[in-house]
Amino acid sequence: MAEQRGTVGGPVLTAWFATPNLHTLDVYESLGGYAALRKVVTEMTAQQVIDEVKISGLRGRGGADFSTATKWSFVPKAHPGPKYIVVNADESEPGSAKDRYLMENSPHALIEGAAIAAFAIGGHQAWIYIRGEYDLPYELLRDAIAQAHEKGYLGEHPFGSDHPLDVRLYRGHGAYICGEETALLESLEGKRAQPRSRPPFPAVKGAWGMPTAVNNVETLSTVPWIIRHGGAEYAKRGTEKAKGTRMVTVSGDVRRPGNYEIEIGVTYRHIIEELAGGALPGRTLKVFWPGGSSAKVLPASMLDTSTDLDGLKALGTMGGSGGIIVMDDSHCMVKAAARLLRFYAHESCGKCTPCRVGTNWSVRTYERILANEGSEIELALLDRVSQGLQNGRCLCGLGDAAGWVIESTMRHFRDEYEEHCLHHACSVQGALAHA
Amino acid sequence: MSALSAHVLDEIKALPARYPQPRSAVMPALDLAQEELGHLTSEAMTEVAGALQLDPGYVQGVATFYTLFHLEPVGQHRFYMCTNLSCTLRGAEDIVEHLRGAIGVKAPGEVSGDGLFSYEEVECMGACEYAPMLRLDHRYHYDLTREKIDHLVAERRSPRADAVSESGPEKPKRAPRRRAPKQDG
Ligand code: SF4
Ligand code: FES
Repeated sequence: MAEQRGTVGGPVLTAWFATPNLHTLDVYESLGGYAALRKVVTEMTAQQVIDEVKISGLRGRGGADFSTATKWSFVPKAHPGPKYIVVNADESEPGSAKDRYLMENSPHALIEGAAIAAFAIGGHQAWIYIRGEYDLPYELLRDAIAQAHEKGYLGEHPFGSDHPLDVRLYRGHGAYICGEETALLESLEGKRAQPRSRPPFPAVKGAWGMPTAVNNVETLSTVPWIIRHGGAEYAKRGTEKAKGTRMVTVSGDVRRPGNYEIEIGVTYRHIIEELAGGALPGRTLKVFWPGGSSAKVLPASMLDTSTDLDGLKALGTMGGSGGIIVMDDSHCMVKAAARLLRFYAHESCGKCTPCRVGTNWSVRTYERILANEGSEIELALLDRVSQGLQNGRCLCGLGDAAGWVIESTMRHFRDEYEEHCLHHACSVQGALAHA
Repeated sequence: MSALSAHVLDEIKALPARYPQPRSAVMPALDLAQEELGHLTSEAMTEVAGALQLDPGYVQGVATFYTLFHLEPVGQHRFYMCTNLSCTLRGAEDIVEHLRGAIGVKAPGEVSGDGLFSYEEVECMGACEYAPMLRLDHRYHYDLTREKIDHLVAERRSPRADAVSESGPEKPKRAPRRRAPKQDG
């Protein structure tokens, strides 16, 4: 068994994580699991469920940060055919590993949350689209779903009610773009995962052409707690504008990398220095990405930034998927940026020209720079390409994210870029040898 | 002679009924084909297309889009080595280099002489807190060191090649393969 990294037994999502075998139905239930689903299907109306989640202030934890209750209420009530909940379990934002952690530890919480969500939109089926590499979470979920069916918690008459509920699994096959909700829907329908232009929005025309709400794993795993304890109890946590708790993954150059559940509003200093133990011996922190590689990088001087929305927005960045990547003074910013651009170029789905061409151009530019063939021309070129990738020129967020990597690393570390481009040197002596 | 065995084709034909629209069966079907053959040949993709009543070009278009589908022969044990940022910061490049030596290949996608191994450099696999990490035989392996790589390789070279060292919480065993995969190379 792998050593568990991060807080075990936090306030909400991880409250039960210290209990062994939480992934089995018996243990989950002995702690109070499935009480929320029982209550929902036997005592509540769909609107009451939505209202409770609205009171909680829960917002999407996949990166978009949109009100969960509002998203559910966009699904038209009167639609005569099927309506779906689709769970985005295709976590692949570099730096983010929280959904894997949640599914490995508590698969039933996700299943219970997904079933509650299906009920809330007046639907009967939730589809968990799980990334193909997640073998263990897949197997745990598959078995957990079977257990829930056996006990009669899912199926034609869950808890004796007349509202059929089912949760099903669909495996992704390795494409970062599936994290984008419309690309994910294309993939679920058996197509290449390329984002759809919107409108129509998924709430109107989503999976298989039917009204659909797409939710993240963490978001739905929170829902049973909210129903059990009440939305108001959840809303007591966090800040006025950003309520509740959330998972963060800390990786990179820290002493205790791991998944941690935090109350929204704590600072990055608290997460990185206290929870994750701070810099490695003899090193100083240089930068951190506050929300996966797609969030603009911040220098360590900004560690006191708050994890709430306003703190991050003021700096033009975001909490995204909660993946905090930390890098110390042994690593070169230009090489790190080059590595990330290679990732975006590889994952660009190719649908929009600025993204397809821009990411590849920048990879080649970085290659020249790192081969000591850079000059002022390369500096100017990176500036231009980064602008061309941003500001709504692309259909989905991937183009922006790639542009932000270039722009934010150049903004804070212009000196390192100049050193590489103008002096063909690198004063950072570190491991990131060849990006 | 057909590339896929009759029982796999039967399984594939039964897939569309599981989905609100039959086309969704294309990826699970390609999975079954790849599980049997080790990688997806043109014949196999054409047979999948036939079984699902889809255009072969369409099926190929899907297969080429996703990184978990292999269109070339791969080793019986495939190392998916994460080289994204969090893993690179903690030494993934050194691990990749060591792995190459340990399995005797020079580049991603190349199959070792005995047909046992190949590796790929892949993007973040969502286990960044355990960096550097890799995926091998449907399991993640964490906190990699050169010694761990040697151990994983030796374990698979030994007669008890099915003894997969595990990571993660207690877990159920993976369902047995329907049929042993043919070995390429
Ligand atoms: S921005 Fe890039 S990834 Fe997104 S749709 Fe356009 S080409 Fe595809
Ligand atoms: S960067 Fe290697 S698992 Fe995320």
